[in-house]
Amino acid sequence: MKWFLKIGWVYLILILVSIIFLFPIYWTFAISAKTRIELFSEPRLLQTTFYKENYIRPLGNPTYRGYLWNSFLISTGNTILVIFVALLSSYALSRFEFSGKNSIFFWTITNRMAPPAAFLLPLYLLYTRIIRIDGWKLFDTRIGLILVYCVFNLPFTIWLLKGIVDSVPKEIDESAMVDGASLFRVIFSIVLPLAAPGVAVSAMLCWIFAWNEYLFASCLTSANARTITTGLAEFVTVVGTNWGEMAAVAIVAMLPSLLLLGLVQRYIITGLTFGAIKE
Amino acid sequence: MSKKVGIVWFTILAVLFSASFLVSPVSAQQTSWWAKAAEPYKGIVITGISESTPPSKYMQEVLAPAFEKETGIKVKFETTSWDEMYDKEIKDMEAGTGVYDFVYIEQDIVYAYLARNFLVNLSSFMKENPNLVYPDLDLGDFTSFINYYKDSKGDLFGLPFESFLKLYVYRKDLFNDPKIKAEFKAKYGWNLRPAKTFKEYEQIAEFFTDYGKRNNIPLWGTTVQAGAHPAAFYEMVETIWPSWGIYNWGINLQNYHATSANGGKLDSARAKEAFRWWVNLLKYAPPESRASTWDEVAATMAAGRAAQGWVYGENIAWIATDSTRSKVVGKIGVELPPLYPGVLQEAKEGKGYIGYYDGGALGIPHSSKKKEAAFLFMQWVTRKDFQGDFAAKAARIVRKSTFSDPKVKALDPKVDHYFTKMQKYGDLFAGAPPFPFHATIREVMLPYILKGIAGEMTPEEALDKAAIAVDAELKNEGYIK
Amino acid sequence: MKSRSLTFRNGKIAWGLLSPMLLILFIVGVLPFIYVLYLGFCQWNVFAQVSKIKWVWGANYRRLVFDSDFLSALGRGIKFTLWTVSIEMVLGFLLAQLFMKPFRGKNFFRAIYSLPLTVAPIAIGATWRLMTIPGFGIIPYLFSKLGFDYNIAYKANQAFFSTVALDVWHWTPFVTLTLLAGLTALPKEPFEQAQIDGASNWQMLWYITLPLLYPVLTTTLFIRIMDALRIVDEVWMLTGGGPGTATRYVGIHIWREVFPKTDYGYGAAMSTLVLYFTIVLSWLLFTIITYREERKE
Repeated sequence: MKWFLKIGWVYLILILVSIIFLFPIYWTFAISAKTRIELFSEPRLLQTTFYKENYIRPLGNPTYRGYLWNSFLISTGNTILVIFVALLSSYALSRFEFSGKNSIFFWTITNRMAPPAAFLLPLYLLYTRIIRIDGWKLFDTRIGLILVYCVFNLPFTIWLLKGIVDSVPKEIDESAMVDGASLFRVIFSIVLPLAAPGVAVSAMLCWIFAWNEYLFASCLTSANARTITTGLAEFVTVVGTNWGEMAAVAIVAMLPSLLLLGLVQRYIITGLTFGAIKE
Repeated sequence: MSKKVGIVWFTILAVLFSASFLVSPVSAQQTSWWAKAAEPYKGIVITGISESTPPSKYMQEVLAPAFEKETGIKVKFETTSWDEMYDKEIKDMEAGTGVYDFVYIEQDIVYAYLARNFLVNLSSFMKENPNLVYPDLDLGDFTSFINYYKDSKGDLFGLPFESFLKLYVYRKDLFNDPKIKAEFKAKYGWNLRPAKTFKEYEQIAEFFTDYGKRNNIPLWGTTVQAGAHPAAFYEMVETIWPSWGIYNWGINLQNYHATSANGGKLDSARAKEAFRWWVNLLKYAPPESRASTWDEVAATMAAGRAAQGWVYGENIAWIATDSTRSKVVGKIGVELPPLYPGVLQEAKEGKGYIGYYDGGALGIPHSSKKKEAAFLFMQWVTRKDFQGDFAAKAARIVRKSTFSDPKVKALDPKVDHYFTKMQKYGDLFAGAPPFPFHATIREVMLPYILKGIAGEMTPEEALDKAAIAVDAELKNEGYIK
Repeated sequence: MKSRSLTFRNGKIAWGLLSPMLLILFIVGVLPFIYVLYLGFCQWNVFAQVSKIKWVWGANYRRLVFDSDFLSALGRGIKFTLWTVSIEMVLGFLLAQLFMKPFRGKNFFRAIYSLPLTVAPIAIGATWRLMTIPGFGIIPYLFSKLGFDYNIAYKANQAFFSTVALDVWHWTPFVTLTLLAGLTALPKEPFEQAQIDGASNWQMLWYITLPLLYPVLTTTLFIRIMDALRIVDEVWMLTGGGPGTATRYVGIHIWREVFPKTDYGYGAAMSTLVLYFTIVLSWLLFTIITYREERKE
């Protein structure tokens, strides 16, 4: 009983919440393992059969593999860009005093606030008509998507990082600079490691957001830069949604995110304690 | 850049290699015509967009690579969802950005495109480029469906590659079961057969729902496409209302009014009766009907959960024959839908229609810079010798000659002679009305239909308000002065 | 820029550091926004009789104010946001606190909790749709065994709460993770000091944790509010905005207006209005919170 009061209740809550969180994911997997007939039969809780065609067909298709590759390039590219730019920006916002500081804060986030539907048209025009060099246009390119996703990822990352950088004491920077370190050195060699948990979390969230994004990807790409999420939407046809294959591709699309999650876990664990920094 | 080109070439070659096993051998005579006609356009890349349905996928994965092998013209085929496809096509043509060289034109959007002059006039194009016209194109061989891609002057704007009817579908095995027949006759006094009137339809629906309950099996009397989705709107305007004699969405074709005070029929007594009748059917329909689009309706039928219903032709084929997806293989019957008295006659006289002729075509936007190559590709996919496979795979026929194709003839009895019926009765069905405002007015009417279904309003009230809203929007868009 | 002359009062360096962000956001954020702003004052429907863009001053906005469909969609969106964000913030905070405790298997559970974030929203919508579809879904099936009739295609309230459940399921992990990141970065001294001074857990929470966590809390709150107000894909896949129009939130309403209805001018005006509304709301919250923060100092 004492064990329960002390720590057992924690496990109970954890397990209950885990079940709730896991169930739809398990169900996605169950759908991917069902044949079409099974999908529309009497529902069963436990999935005992596995219809591997749902996996083999889309994954054997080179088009879908191409989508996966595109998604990977776009997500990784965007994350690197965002972290780099956000670090610089949040450092500026955290350490410097200058006029217009508070409004920048606000201004970056308003970009993200609006309902996206109406913005697709101007972005489409921008990418097809305005940004062109000689016949090359920004439309249907990976770089185009990498840039657009900044609108969503930058504000959030900057805000999060600013809060984290704020809690890294200024004195550390100042002492490093007195020792002769350049600004970039301070940001990347000193502040970045200390802010690692926050950077890890925002990098992961950025990456996952870019990886899972649908609306802009489908609007601003055609045959070349298509991502895996737009590939998912292709399963929704007027002849019937192929739920099984869609679920299979969704499960496969989950794996990179899961991998990333696993890698990032370490940084969250070794949440550095600031007491150690005080010399 | 060269690395990307290398990868693309490798992929194309790989696909071609596998595709070469799928494409039927072509006679030497026809081979040289394509290669010759495409001579000046060799090496061009054309881009097209279509839905991600099986026929389009077939085009993308098999026909396009074969075309490239024959002509050297590369085809980049983008397949996407129905919604997205429209949006991207429209944006491209509106902005004139020339992204797409050929686009999928669903039957119901063609009038909107014509009104905005988005598409190349194929008739004049063919006159100006006779050397690009395939000798065996044979426009006369296309079914009456091609007429929906012509403007008022009779000029052609699209080449159809798929079409089908939405028909009344019923469970032959149940209807022929002696025990069931006896029960039915005892209760209602007439011999059970496919319904011809709405009263009969309702009685059959009531009977089978009750039958399912009594025998504790998951069987209901009818399908209803009543999900919160444009599909609900479409079942009303494509299928239910025409069979009740309410055509063209209840909108007057002369003055574009929907309210009966001004010549429309949307809020007429008959339209309201039809809507109420249809909403009432929900009590005989399985629980998923309120969440059903055409997708779930087909699944319901295929799972054996409904004794009768209205199903699109493209689904009828797999429901009747594909045992990996359907539990009722070999048990499906197909008939003309039940009709209001006089409607059949009106249809025969050309004054009305009894149901929906659905399908799609390929067309060329004005903004395309590679029209010639695109036109060659369009003719390639509508070739007579490819149509048999299209029909066999997906129950779609656009050419009269395909009806006599051996593959189709072999498949016909398995789908209760759907193809024969399509050939015989196709003229009684019609595509969507010639509205340039198809999409916009659909969005205006849809919430009211949904509210009527959900009980937020009575069906009568819903139609009254819908008619007023439609008139207001048409005025706003300038169609009503 | 040599480090010796570096001071933190040098605004020029700050602007230099900010310039990449400003440039990117200007091109892909501000420019489109200006265009939308401009469109909001125009009438432009691709399939109208007159399909050219026409400047009509404030006609769209005037129409919007009386547009009961739009206003009810907005109202529903706000109701949805209130429910989801409050539940998510509270749950997320509690879970984050839970994860601060020492226990074995933390990694494992934390990984599980992050799973909902890894699935594409469109797939989430599809799965939830299949789980809840009457007749075929597992959830109505389980509920019926308990004697409860669960049919979200028919019962508006159930549909509404199902969308809330979906959003909470999807985004609580996001809140948990960001709050957790914030919590782990907190300095230890204030807590140690407070414990020495004999403060209770509750007092530590209220007077130390929360105030120190303000930046992260507000960030997360704002992001969630904005995203909840804009939601489209998942709800569309789950309910289609139904039954009737019960779950047609403002994001969906705008989307249907802009895309299938191709009413670009009106849709742009709607978007601008909703954006304005969101900004005002955020600014209010922002002011309240910074006011409280300043009062603390």
